Amino acid sequence: MRSAWRWPWQAIVALMMGCAVFVFAQSRLPGIRRAQVNAEIAIALPVFVQVAMAGGDRYLAASWAAIRALVTETSKMGPEDFRVLGVVQRDASWLNPAHEDNYYIAAAILPWEGQVEPAQVILRRATLARFYDYQPAFYYAFNLMHFTGDYLAASEWLRQAAPKLPKPDERLLLENFAARWLDRTQDVELAARIVDAMAAQAKRKDFADYLRVRAQRLRDLGVLRRAAIVYSDRHGKPLVELSELVSAGLVAKLPVDPFGFGFGIDPNGVPVLLNRPQK
Amino acid sequence: MWPFCISTLRSGIRSRAVLLILILGALLVGVAFLASAFSPRQPRTVTIDVGMSGIRFSLVLFAVFWVQELVAREVERRTVLYALAYPVSRAAYILGRFAGVVCLLAVAAVLLAGLLWFSVVSAGGHYEQGFGVQLGWPYWLAIIGLWVDAVVVAAFTLWIATLSTVQMLPVALGAAFAVGGKSLGAALDYLARGADGDANIMNRFGPLMQIIQWLLPDLSRLDWRIWSMYGVPLSDGTVIYGLALAVGYVTVLLSLAVITFSRREFF
Repeated sequence: MRSAWRWPWQAIVALMMGCAVFVFAQSRLPGIRRAQVNAEIAIALPVFVQVAMAGGDRYLAASWAAIRALVTETSKMGPEDFRVLGVVQRDASWLNPAHEDNYYIAAAILPWEGQVEPAQVILRRATLARFYDYQPAFYYAFNLMHFTGDYLAASEWLRQAAPKLPKPDERLLLENFAARWLDRTQDVELAARIVDAMAAQAKRKDFADYLRVRAQRLRDLGVLRRAAIVYSDRHGKPLVELSELVSAGLVAKLPVDPFGFGFGIDPNGVPVLLNRPQK
Repeated sequence: MWPFCISTLRSGIRSRAVLLILILGALLVGVAFLASAFSPRQPRTVTIDVGMSGIRFSLVLFAVFWVQELVAREVERRTVLYALAYPVSRAAYILGRFAGVVCLLAVAAVLLAGLLWFSVVSAGGHYEQGFGVQLGWPYWLAIIGLWVDAVVVAAFTLWIATLSTVQMLPVALGAAFAVGGKSLGAALDYLARGADGDANIMNRFGPLMQIIQWLLPDLSRLDWRIWSMYGVPLSDGTVIYGLALAVGYVTVLLSLAVITFSRREFF
């Protein structure tokens, strides 16, 4: 005969206790302030952890980090968030240096938010891994010029990027830029030698001639700068007009700029190249 | 040996595995396709990247579960005794089962790779990437690498299955082996580059990793997707030595599996 069913009192008591604890906690929680959660990028995990979380697959870990970088809303990010973004993207480039989106986003965001160093690391790795792609070297060169003011290195990197362009006209354009960036370096003699070397390597004769003219222009600038130093030593004041160099007998005549822009003087009395026609 | 191989194939195909492959494949295509939508410049590359990670994950899962289903469970339920009642060696049983799982993995790899191939072709719509992906020989070579990777994991799981008396231990250890073997390359690479200048990590883990690399195969050496994704050709050494590493390790594991299974007592 089947025994009479009995209430499972222990289970019922446990159920009631559970309900009481749940209701108590639920009623209290709305009054407790939530811990601040930053919806944007806030954490950079160690590389080991990223790889382990991706089942040991470094490419998947890199893709995941790149997607994190892609979906962050930069308008809501502070300086610390951008530092973390730099770390995340640098890790992604370590895991997969050829990741195109990663270097592209890094170039587009990081240096403009003060993260020049990680951006350059990412672009340098991408340049090595993507030996057929001109863009990482181009962005690297631009950052050198724009953010660190190293025109000499920027020109060198731009020259590395130029042969990777598919069309001859585009290659020529980039080499032209490389030559023009050298105009802005402080060591004009070195810049002139580099432009001469570029001319020696140029396949097209007209472009080689153009580069030689640029090199001569830099040498003329060097002559003016050396004369300006002598002038300021002799007179105890900086140069105001270039014509003063002629009247002081330091140069026989002012050089003629083959591009027609001429030479000028910066506020410190140092001769500089002008890059647009004088009014 | 071959009757066991064929029976494994039949059991694998009759089981829900094929359906599972199709479901997982459809999910894979969906995930890889969705991932491509995040990419502003290389949707097809991202589809291959995420898709191949998905294929690797799926194949490893299949390897571990098929070995569990077709070998470990037979041992656990003692149904293996019916097979061993025939005048065949235990080695033939183990190697036959392994060959069957290897064939099933090949079928799964081809099916999943085919699905991924179509999803790569359709990713990005009419957008033409600046640098296209390689969907010919480089793509299929990468799939072969993923298949060999799964075969190594299957061999390890099989060895564990021959000596384990704990249910699901082969699955757990097989999965851990797959993650460990795949992570090993990144870890060795990190240490070889100086661990970001962290001398503490170098001192603590450097000697340990030197030993581990002789015990655990570096499965990342079988990941050849970079050619398909970026058109960077692989050196002959990369492929040949990668395959040699896998063949050598599988041989060792199968030998161990045969030895332990031959000495195993079922009562």
